[in-house]
Amino acid sequence: MTPTPGLSASQTIGPFFRYGLAWDNGEHAFPKDAPGEHIELTGILTDGAGTLIGDAMIEFWQADAEGRFGGPNKGSCPGFARCYTNTEGRYTLHTVKPGAVAGPGGGPQAPHILVCLFSRGMLAQVYTRVYLEADAQDAVLKAAGPRADTLVARETAKSKYEWDIVMQGGRETVFLDF
Amino acid sequence: MSKLHLRKTPGDLHPPLNSPAYRSTALRHPKQALIAVPQAATELSAPRFDETIYYPHHDDLTKQCTGEPLGERIIVTGRVLDENGDAIPNTLLELWQCNSAGRYHHEVDDHAAPLDPNFKGGGRVLTNARGEYSFTTIKPGAYPWRNHENAWRPAHLHFSVFGTSMLQRLITQMYFPGDPLLGYDPIFNTVPTERARERLISKFDLSVTKPEWALGYRFDIVLRGSEATPAN
Repeated sequence: MTPTPGLSASQTIGPFFRYGLAWDNGEHAFPKDAPGEHIELTGILTDGAGTLIGDAMIEFWQADAEGRFGGPNKGSCPGFARCYTNTEGRYTLHTVKPGAVAGPGGGPQAPHILVCLFSRGMLAQVYTRVYLEADAQDAVLKAAGPRADTLVARETAKSKYEWDIVMQGGRETVFLDF
Repeated sequence: MSKLHLRKTPGDLHPPLNSPAYRSTALRHPKQALIAVPQAATELSAPRFDETIYYPHHDDLTKQCTGEPLGERIIVTGRVLDENGDAIPNTLLELWQCNSAGRYHHEVDDHAAPLDPNFKGGGRVLTNARGEYSFTTIKPGAYPWRNHENAWRPAHLHFSVFGTSMLQRLITQMYFPGDPLLGYDPIFNTVPTERARERLISKFDLSVTKPEWALGYRFDIVLRGSEATPAN
């Protein structure tokens, strides 16, 4: 058996990443003319004391409206977005409602967006998913049990959604282990 | 086609999200257990990029301004692999760091050290077909932080890498061999095992060093690898 190299451990993103991880139009996951329903997803990120976290980076990755994953395109990749929380702890993602993607084993999944969260005070990223509507058949929402509602965004107006991320406490967001 | 998924990460690889020695983790780690779910197509894919993401001197941080930055010029090179030993080609690596005096080009950094008008401190590069990358930059300085009395971060470069699955996504830090601050640094020492800590320390390499120009360091990054999905 050939020796395999050891895995690299994670370290915190720290507070000073914005220059190095700058991304043009990072909050836009798709070009303006991409097919599908264009939506805005916004929310705040809070810590265990309820304090707003203003130095986080949140990456989003999703399928397009047809359920396909994109490839390189003009300085980014459709379906990928990188948002920084502002001093009010708020992120805002501009995207397209994702199409259906088959689950492991071919089963159905509700349309979802993968979320990868980094910040100072976090030694590794945490993952979760955000759903635009509840679906009792979805395997991840089922696994989340009574806390599944922390993964579902609220539609506040036509094509506008709100979804907060809570690190600790009674409304702690479900984080996922893949 | 046999289905692949990523092998589970050993529990003692990454620092615990709750690591009291690094105080800021206290209010920023999930208190409830993570919920284990299967890996699906969204997680097993990742954004892919090409050279349209490059800006001028994207891989040479000493040439991004009008003049040359102060500090010790270095070349950092290595490979991005998965744990099976396979190279990960054409994946995006991003690098950021403070200047040689220990100050970041960032409005929130108030360390009493000078900014360098000729150093911004960010770079990006795609790995080549063999998974190799190379950056030219300057050696970052150590700097103080407020985690505890007389706390100093050892010199480090921040690296971000994507891989071919969002589950390989990694942000880490590269340290320098022989740095006396390593033993005192809570962030470095949150990595549970000595073997994994040692892998975050680059190796000085005379064959990478360019005569009359720059010292060379080697730093490989190893991401989760795939295995066949068990039948059940």
